[in-house]
Amino acid sequence: MATRNKDIQTDTDQVIKTEKAKSPSSQPLSVPTDNPVVYPLDLPQGEARLRTPAVGQRASRPDGRLHGLGQTQYIDDITFPHMLHAKILHSDHAHARIVSIDTSEAEKMPGVLATLTGAEVPENSFGPTFQDQPILAYPIVRHRGDGVAAVAAVTEQLAMEALEKIKVEYEPLTPVFDPLEAIEDDSPKIHGESNIYTSKIIKKGDVEKALKDSPHVFHRQYTTQMVEHVPLEPQATIASWDGNGRVTIWSSLGRITLGREDISRTLAIPQSRIRLIGTIVGGNFGGKNEIRNEPIVALLSKKSRRPVKCVFTRDEEFTSSTIRHPFIMDYTTGVNDEGLILARKIRLVLDGGAYCSWTGTTIGKGSILAPGPYNIENVFVEAYAVYTNKTTTGAMRGFGAPQVCFAYESQMDEIANKLGIDPLEIRLKNGFSENSLSPTSQTLQSVALKESLNQASDRFGWKEWKA
Amino acid sequence: MWYPIGFTVLANPSAATVKVNTDGTATLLTGTVETGQGALTVLGQIAAETLGLSTDDVHVVSGDTDVTPMDTGAIASRTTYVTGNAIVKAAEKAREILFEAAAPLLNVKPNQLEARDKRIQVLGFPSSSIPISDVVQHSESVVGNPAIGSASYNPPTLAMDPETGQGKPFNTYVYATQIADVEVDDETGEVEILKIVAVHDCGTPINPMLVEGQIQGGISMGVGFALQEEILFEEGRQINPNLTNYIMPTSLDMPELEVGLVDNYDPTGPFGAKGAGEPTAVPTAAAIMNAIYDAVGVRITSLPATAERVMMAILEKQDSEKTAATG
Repeated sequence: MATRNKDIQTDTDQVIKTEKAKSPSSQPLSVPTDNPVVYPLDLPQGEARLRTPAVGQRASRPDGRLHGLGQTQYIDDITFPHMLHAKILHSDHAHARIVSIDTSEAEKMPGVLATLTGAEVPENSFGPTFQDQPILAYPIVRHRGDGVAAVAAVTEQLAMEALEKIKVEYEPLTPVFDPLEAIEDDSPKIHGESNIYTSKIIKKGDVEKALKDSPHVFHRQYTTQMVEHVPLEPQATIASWDGNGRVTIWSSLGRITLGREDISRTLAIPQSRIRLIGTIVGGNFGGKNEIRNEPIVALLSKKSRRPVKCVFTRDEEFTSSTIRHPFIMDYTTGVNDEGLILARKIRLVLDGGAYCSWTGTTIGKGSILAPGPYNIENVFVEAYAVYTNKTTTGAMRGFGAPQVCFAYESQMDEIANKLGIDPLEIRLKNGFSENSLSPTSQTLQSVALKESLNQASDRFGWKEWKA
Repeated sequence: MWYPIGFTVLANPSAATVKVNTDGTATLLTGTVETGQGALTVLGQIAAETLGLSTDDVHVVSGDTDVTPMDTGAIASRTTYVTGNAIVKAAEKAREILFEAAAPLLNVKPNQLEARDKRIQVLGFPSSSIPISDVVQHSESVVGNPAIGSASYNPPTLAMDPETGQGKPFNTYVYATQIADVEVDDETGEVEILKIVAVHDCGTPINPMLVEGQIQGGISMGVGFALQEEILFEEGRQINPNLTNYIMPTSLDMPELEVGLVDNYDPTGPFGAKGAGEPTAVPTAAAIMNAIYDAVGVRITSLPATAERVMMAILEKQDSEKTAATG
């Protein structure tokens, strides 16, 4: 045991020595100065970048060239002398109370310089709408992706081994996984007294009367699944403190101004003592729009007095970051013989997972967009977001729009098929145009729906294909 | 398909600072972060346009809370529209300083000037003009007023009534149509997408090439949502949290794409632009499901339409047809 750790220490020293040799003291980042590739520095620019007026030009991206040359520095490419690597221990249960956490065995391991538990986080909560997410869960774990402890060690391997030495005793609580079960009064509760944590109503006209008066009524339930953003670069962070008690954090976060506010709140230090650098992000798609490991890494760095890096594994990117909300969508639509929509009644149930995250925006956009871009005088949408003991659902490209679009556009085709109307015609007949009123009675401007329908069908050769 | 730009009702401002250098190049400071979509290039083009410069003349600095101004971030398809509007206002302030400095030199009032082709010139009389670099130098070294401007923008919204949801949650929306052509193997249920035509409205595109890139990327995400991707759980534990068992489309799964942009101009956006980030991924699954119905007559109501799910639907349809025929 001792020998092996000694070897690791020697390896680390060797690595640090090599890194030092590579990066002169004037350059804090280890830029690969020994790279044999010689880049032309006086390069000719693409013509579009040089033309005026600038707007409308197919100008190339300066960052594209750096990506192509491998010069872009993602967080995984950045390293500092004496930097440690952090790893996070995740929950063994989907729903449980932590009775005790013992990190002492991990701390005894040579090369392990700091551990952290939720009880040590100054303000152990975050979230863009409700601050219901813990930085490290304590005392309740609400899904298996919850972190319960973290370790900083001289290598990633050692940090992972140290996680195995942490003893967590749990008292299991009854979990609930199905949102339709979770919505019931007698279901196990995940936060507070109800699992419904946010809801939305959109109401225009008299939907019940209009459905009763409709010659044709269509009903269908549509459901969608949980999907992950799968950015090429998993979430990554480095933190380093200076002698004035000021911390610099490099992060793959997509929104640094508000990220700094959240970090300041969780660490309980002023924003002026935090520098948050948003590095080039290797794909976001919504999954990097709230802080995640930044406070953990900052606190481990403070305890160990060394720079600390944490990069999620692919597994953690799936299980401990946010994913897309599954929707259960009930659509009832009344139409006349000509295919004009008279009424649409919609019920949405969003599987929220363990924490709120960006559900407020998802349920808002999902509800507003749910009736589709169609002139409908009688609309009723009710939407409920429900906690379950599964992975947290949050922001993902479209905030509920891909789910409801699947439902409303599927039903448009079903109506068209049943009534013997061309799917293109039924959309042109009902679709928004300039000054149409949205489901929230907003007068719409710059509406190009029918132009897009016509251009797409022309390009596809819709009429010839239908003939 | 329709999709809004910016946050639902909530304020989501951006600020920007534009500095013009004495050689007629400029620096833009923005608090957003490049997440791979090419936003910084588009934002630089917006600053360049306002100052009459080329894209290459503007260097964009982003992503550092010690340096860059407040920004709500790369979220909600808001960067081109919201941050772009802030940049227009900031660059206009810097430009106003240049107009003030150039007006006496050209014997006109500042409001008779425009910035175009790297010169400050008299409106409708381009032969009376001065290179921007000379104007910046004059403004900085003689007048003593460096050309710098800071401004912010927040899209105006109106709160939604809590009982009825009525209100103006967004300032503008975009629209799109996607049509899919698919082939379905009725013995295995496998769906092959042959072609997708995608025509999107993003207002006036600032950089058509980057909008096309967004649409292509969005469709690949839509294809995964439609046919392949699904996180599976057992007792609350994800059982496929890896790229071996969580199947997502690769370049080999991508169909032929035909991408078009609608001619449009939104007077509330920077140079008529709205946005193009998220909406590109929205209609793809719906188009594919409708194409599957058209091909084999089964309606998939639960995503993703894996081969198993499509095959089950085909078998159910065949069974019910048989029952109908014999019954």
